[in-house]
Amino acid sequence: MEIHVDKDACVGCGLCVKDCPMHVYELQNNVSVAVRPNNCMGCLSCHEICPAQALEHRGIYAAKRHYIDIHVCEMLKKVI
Amino acid sequence: MTAGYVDEMHEAFQTDLVYRSEDVPLECSPKPKDLEQTLHGLMKLNGLVIRSLEEIAGRGANAVTYRAGKKFGHEVAQYFQKRDDVEGALHELSDLLRGQYSFEVWKPEDKDSYIIEENGETFIYLVFHDCIVRQTLRRNGLDQGGPLCQTLFGYVVGAIEEITGRKAKLEIVHTGPNACLKKLVLK
Repeated sequence: MEIHVDKDACVGCGLCVKDCPMHVYELQNNVSVAVRPNNCMGCLSCHEICPAQALEHRGIYAAKRHYIDIHVCEMLKKVI
Repeated sequence: MTAGYVDEMHEAFQTDLVYRSEDVPLECSPKPKDLEQTLHGLMKLNGLVIRSLEEIAGRGANAVTYRAGKKFGHEVAQYFQKRDDVEGALHELSDLLRGQYSFEVWKPEDKDSYIIEENGETFIYLVFHDCIVRQTLRRNGLDQGGPLCQTLFGYVVGAIEEITGRKAKLEIVHTGPNACLKKLVLK
């Protein structure tokens, strides 16, 4: 697992540090650093919680997402 | 209701198909892509049932759904091969759950074995990747870890108990949008 934190985007809020059950992240000089990437199980809670969307995971298994309503998304795409 | 509308409705259900009682269906009908609306309808229904159950039964909802899941687990796993080893049972379980859930055994970096002994209890971490429960909850905007998750807990516990003959317990460690970490405690 490879985790990349965009240092320019990270606001140092520490939410990923608090939320991760496996203590993958640590705050160093007010920037989040993935210190234990091998402990990551790929839940992506950190992605959902990061206000700056500064995180990127590589080599992750993406779970099936049948819940997405494609018709609604298609309509939204036209509007946005 | 106008006659034209009624005729239109009837027309939609009229076909030239010859249906014989001895026909064995070998294909899914309609095609899986056309089932999207049905799947979403089912997710919506499930979510509403769970939300209503929670409103009326409160914390008792968890017990009801856990019990239902456990019965389901026992019922399905009774046709599977009985095994003493937990690893084998988990392998059987992953076959059993295929299509609805996918999971893997997992361990933190500092642990040597997947079967972990800590504070007098023996457990295995399971990471659930694909999960129909999570999808249903997200479809309905419901919290994870509630009564619907308890059905999955019951299901896994019931199946493990049925396959190994040992008592087990499943605990939520963490829920996420892409995967959930669970702890299978063996007794």
